[in-house]
Amino acid sequence: MGSWFSAQKVAGYGVAAIAAVLVLYPVYFLLQAAFDVGDPQIRPPTAYGLDNFSSLLQYPQIMLNTLMVSLAATVMALMFGSLMAWILTRTNVPGRRLFEQLMAVPYYLTPLLGALAWSLLGQPESGFINGIWRAFGGEGHLIDINTPYGIAWVMALFEGSVAFVMIAALMKSMDPSLEEASQVIGASRIRTIMQITLPLVTPGILGAAIFVFAEMLGSFAVALVLGLPTRYYVITTAIYQMIQQYPPKIQVAAAMGASLFAVMWAMLYAYRRVVISGSYVTITGKAFRPRLLDVGRLRYVLLSICLLYLFVAVILPLGTLFFASLQKIAVVFPTAENFTLDNFRTAMAMNAVRSALSNSLLLAFGTATIGIVLMGLLAWLIYRSRLPGSGLIEYIVMFPQAVPRLVFAFGLMWAWVVFPIPIYATLWLLLIAYLTVFLPLGVRTIAGVILQIDKSLEECAQMCGASWAFRARTVTIPLLRPGLVAAWLLLFIASVRELGASILLMGPHSKVITPSIVESWFGTSSELTAALALIQTLVVALAIIVLVVVTRRVGALSVD
Amino acid sequence: MPASPQGSPPSLSTPRPHIEVEGLELYYGSVPAVRGVNFNVMPGEQLTLLGPSGCGKTTTLRAVAGLEQPTAGEIRIDGLPVFSSARKINVRAEKRGLSMVFQSYAIWPHMTVFDNVAYGLQVRKVGGPEIKDKVDRALEMVQMREFGGRRASQLSGGQQQRVALARAFVFQPSVLLFDEPLSNLDAKLRADMRIELRDLQHRLGITSLYVTHDLEEALAMSDRIVVMRDGLVEQTGTPDEIYSLPHSEFVADFIGSANLIRGHHRPDLDCDGLTALETATGQLIYGMAYGRKAGPEMTVSVRTVHLRISQERPAGERNVWPVKIEKTVFQGDFSQIHLYWGDQRLVARCAAMEPIAAGRDVYMAVEPRRVVLLSPGNR
Amino acid sequence: MAELRHGNLTRRRMLKAGTGAIALPFLGIAAPNLLAQGVSKSPTNVLDFTTNADVAKAEQEGQLVFYCHENEAGTAGIMEGFNKDFPKIKTSYVRAQTGALYNKILSERAAGRFDVDVIQLSDIAPAFDFRRKGGYEHYVSPESSAYKKDHLSEPNGYFFWTGVDPAGIAYNSEKVAVSDAPKGWKDILDPRWKGKISCKISASGLQFVQWYTLRKIYGDGYWKEFAKLQPRAFDSRVQLFDRLSKGDDMITAIGEYPAYFLFKSKGAKVEFVAPPDGLVSTPLVVGAVSRAPHPEASKLFVDWAMSKRGQAWYQSNPNLYYGSVRTDAPAMPTGVKLSDFKLLYPSDWDEYASQSATFLKEWNSMLGL
Repeated sequence: MGSWFSAQKVAGYGVAAIAAVLVLYPVYFLLQAAFDVGDPQIRPPTAYGLDNFSSLLQYPQIMLNTLMVSLAATVMALMFGSLMAWILTRTNVPGRRLFEQLMAVPYYLTPLLGALAWSLLGQPESGFINGIWRAFGGEGHLIDINTPYGIAWVMALFEGSVAFVMIAALMKSMDPSLEEASQVIGASRIRTIMQITLPLVTPGILGAAIFVFAEMLGSFAVALVLGLPTRYYVITTAIYQMIQQYPPKIQVAAAMGASLFAVMWAMLYAYRRVVISGSYVTITGKAFRPRLLDVGRLRYVLLSICLLYLFVAVILPLGTLFFASLQKIAVVFPTAENFTLDNFRTAMAMNAVRSALSNSLLLAFGTATIGIVLMGLLAWLIYRSRLPGSGLIEYIVMFPQAVPRLVFAFGLMWAWVVFPIPIYATLWLLLIAYLTVFLPLGVRTIAGVILQIDKSLEECAQMCGASWAFRARTVTIPLLRPGLVAAWLLLFIASVRELGASILLMGPHSKVITPSIVESWFGTSSELTAALALIQTLVVALAIIVLVVVTRRVGALSVD
Repeated sequence: MPASPQGSPPSLSTPRPHIEVEGLELYYGSVPAVRGVNFNVMPGEQLTLLGPSGCGKTTTLRAVAGLEQPTAGEIRIDGLPVFSSARKINVRAEKRGLSMVFQSYAIWPHMTVFDNVAYGLQVRKVGGPEIKDKVDRALEMVQMREFGGRRASQLSGGQQQRVALARAFVFQPSVLLFDEPLSNLDAKLRADMRIELRDLQHRLGITSLYVTHDLEEALAMSDRIVVMRDGLVEQTGTPDEIYSLPHSEFVADFIGSANLIRGHHRPDLDCDGLTALETATGQLIYGMAYGRKAGPEMTVSVRTVHLRISQERPAGERNVWPVKIEKTVFQGDFSQIHLYWGDQRLVARCAAMEPIAAGRDVYMAVEPRRVVLLSPGNR
Repeated sequence: MAELRHGNLTRRRMLKAGTGAIALPFLGIAAPNLLAQGVSKSPTNVLDFTTNADVAKAEQEGQLVFYCHENEAGTAGIMEGFNKDFPKIKTSYVRAQTGALYNKILSERAAGRFDVDVIQLSDIAPAFDFRRKGGYEHYVSPESSAYKKDHLSEPNGYFFWTGVDPAGIAYNSEKVAVSDAPKGWKDILDPRWKGKISCKISASGLQFVQWYTLRKIYGDGYWKEFAKLQPRAFDSRVQLFDRLSKGDDMITAIGEYPAYFLFKSKGAKVEFVAPPDGLVSTPLVVGAVSRAPHPEASKLFVDWAMSKRGQAWYQSNPNLYYGSVRTDAPAMPTGVKLSDFKLLYPSDWDEYASQSATFLKEWNSMLGL
């Protein structure tokens, strides 16, 4: 009567197998290329060796640049993130809720848009800010965005939102009584922060740091737009240059990418050491109502910090792009005849862009919808099922996080170009690519949602005799719905803004928007590119608003 | 409510156990949680798994429920194996026909009270009017009828507990499992619910398996108790047996306060069926073996309530000693007296009386039948 | 030509053979069959040019897939021109710098994917290589007669020069006084341009030509001096002029005439210098690709591109402004003809192509790659 092999197990391992194929199949090709020392034109390789890795030693500057920029950007992102998280979750600053929502906007605006805007603002000669500086009698330039710190600044602003999200969640999940206990004993507020709060949040912040650092290592758009003018290369832009030429240095590029695995693993190891040695179990998934600090008049100072952040990360970039897009040649003090609507006219007429935009929206919809199912099942499998081997699956699923998407795209390209079903150069390939590279993001997000829900709620349905499918439909999914909707939107946005993987995998019939904007930046004027970026932002914003409204309505209907 | 629950056929001869657990082992990786547990639950019986946290009681319960997969052993319900490592049987939880009340209540926050309770009936595809009828009756039994339309988030802890209970029995399961259902309630409510639960269990006649770490709860509610420790069964028996005749120091100590006295056997002084024990300081105490074998080194257990304190020397020869009062702690219904017996410190509980000044010399006596010999080797 | 006609069958066979077969270079299958192809059909006139392609069939194919080195707007412009004349043939394209594009098509073909009909490259070296690998379809256009032998593949029928992209020196006229402006190629080595001069990345065909020809004239030391200026390298001519017109760079070592013309017309403060030694020029070569999914459309495109009509389009589209090498080419929109300029080409294309690896290495190391 009983079954050792339940349908649940079969489904679980089926999904795990799909994830393993998605990740490991391209990784195999990537590693194959990294160790290929034969004729690069012939695949499979004719000879293997370590030459590609030893030739990396020729590029100490690039490695150094990468670490430097990533580190600087991570530190800045953590500083902004912690400060904003503290202000918005722990103090009584006015408009906290609104600001918390708005903190996601820079992430949605994309690093590419940020880099384009800040390039217009901060170039030493033509930058608007420097133009104004000189107009007021300044000498030379006030800021130079084409420096490592400039690059890190833009990366921190536009890729660093994840730091805020993670740290804010951390601060919310900390039991305030832990701090209260310290204060009751008589410790000062500063002492409490130093000896209780900081040690408690340290592992969480370290975790966020590693996640953000990985993002920064793989960041491509910002270094591309802001680094190239001063020949400041990081690994991703160097790889991009290496594969742009003929004959391409694919093997070295693959080795460069593969060497990042080592960096990420070392960091993960260090992280686990910290977390295990500390064994901080006090921070649970449970949400407490955080005790808000009454900061008195200081709240207006904090409010202006929030406003300043939104100004440099949202209003200023968008305003700049809008201003530039209305000009023939973007300058800070344009004459009347320099204004034109031609850029928008041209942008709207560009067939490639039109199809790219609709392709992107279609893909994002598909990625988010399929992704929710796939990643939801995986998250459930890893964190709830207790099936043997789920730990290994977690490692496999998290693997793409350790590799820049540009590098991962190589593996994907070779893997699927030889695949017997002709999906190469189609939207299907991009869909597979997105589902693969967003596995860590999706699984992590959904796992966060799942872990917040008491396990006994599901078990109880099981004890009432409900089958797996029935309880998923009646208990698990309704409880997860708000979290799943948020995860769906996150995947949607992540897909629309994807650049690293798409730029290699686009085909003539499968163009998507972000790489098209990069190509436009390469090959048309910055004014037209600004117009394109604005159109993309507007269309995606509209799509998201529509989707949110629809999901709200559907959600409301099904609850009543 | 039906007198005989589904699935347990009425039988006049010695009934077959409703639940049988045999050689149950459960490892998390290499960490043992349950290391070989055996017990039976008879039809209509309430059996309690009692023990400190980490003793494996909840894991055992969850294994019976089907929420954990044991490493080895066999579990039978109505004689049919629902889990057997030897025969590779593992019936899924939802197919075992059991029901369970969770420690956290697990009231679904997205449903009303009515929907929560109706869930098990909907799963069983019961028709609408019948569902309404049954849910109403179940809510009636737990005095929650007027709350049917509320959402779970609008209920207090005690109300959630009642809903969880109604939800668990509404579809007439053959067995009810309770995982520390009262541990999240305050003391007064807990005491009330204890009686209500026991009452309900009797009325429904459902076989129940109950897990708790609370001694009073176990004694008050159980037909039989299984005391567990470190993944093993320490002792099985009725509440009275467990309380009066603990097997081991662990049970004696865990089940209410007991004085443990160690010494060596003086077989030469045994008489009248009593066993004589001499402590290291030469004090002699007579106790009863209750069929247990006395070794050369022994431990006896004496409940604090069975030590009698008096100003004058009581009549009788055996088990009467002069002792010195260390201190008396007033505890309301009784006083706890700490005293020196030779150089050993003992505790006695007496019904409230005039406090005796510290340092006074008094007499202590105990009936030999209250001095219980513990099984050797069971520490 | 059986393999080509039954492209699907061949492809299936390739795939069935598995990865082993895919590893084979994609073979010069097309080569022996060309005679039958070109001659079998008599040329037909369509619009105002002649073609050997079957126009009805091409329209039935309904599609043209174009791989092009040109920037987004330029590539879209070429397709727009063709599509205007043949609205029944839908066009799509992939654009990337020549190096990346060539790399992409090779990987695809190595894996048995044949999705491209026509390819346009900005460097003749990969075109030679592609020809050797049998990548080009052999198709002798009836329009070839309007071209000099130098501007066609040898033998004719693989690719042709659809235009020339001549480059001199360009500077920002607000930052650089006319008196200070460079007059010849030697003048860009002046140390005062240090950190203020731009060039192109190594994937650019034109940059390769410039490196090759100026080295021929001024010797190896020329580029060593140039490297000391720490030039900034970009992907496309538009980026170069975008920065130039905003003053982010003062001067560009490789100012392409079409881009200069485009920016000048937008009102940018840029000036163009034609050094007396000549304008370095790279041919932009177009050829039909073998095993194309839409073979007739691909031939039709080649004929269109070669024709006076197509050449006029290439020459007058603001995002292209190519100089036409057709013997009967009209003047460019600026009024000048390509033949008015002194052009600087590699004299020996084979020797030039053999220098590719040296150029890449030198240029990359100059840029810190």
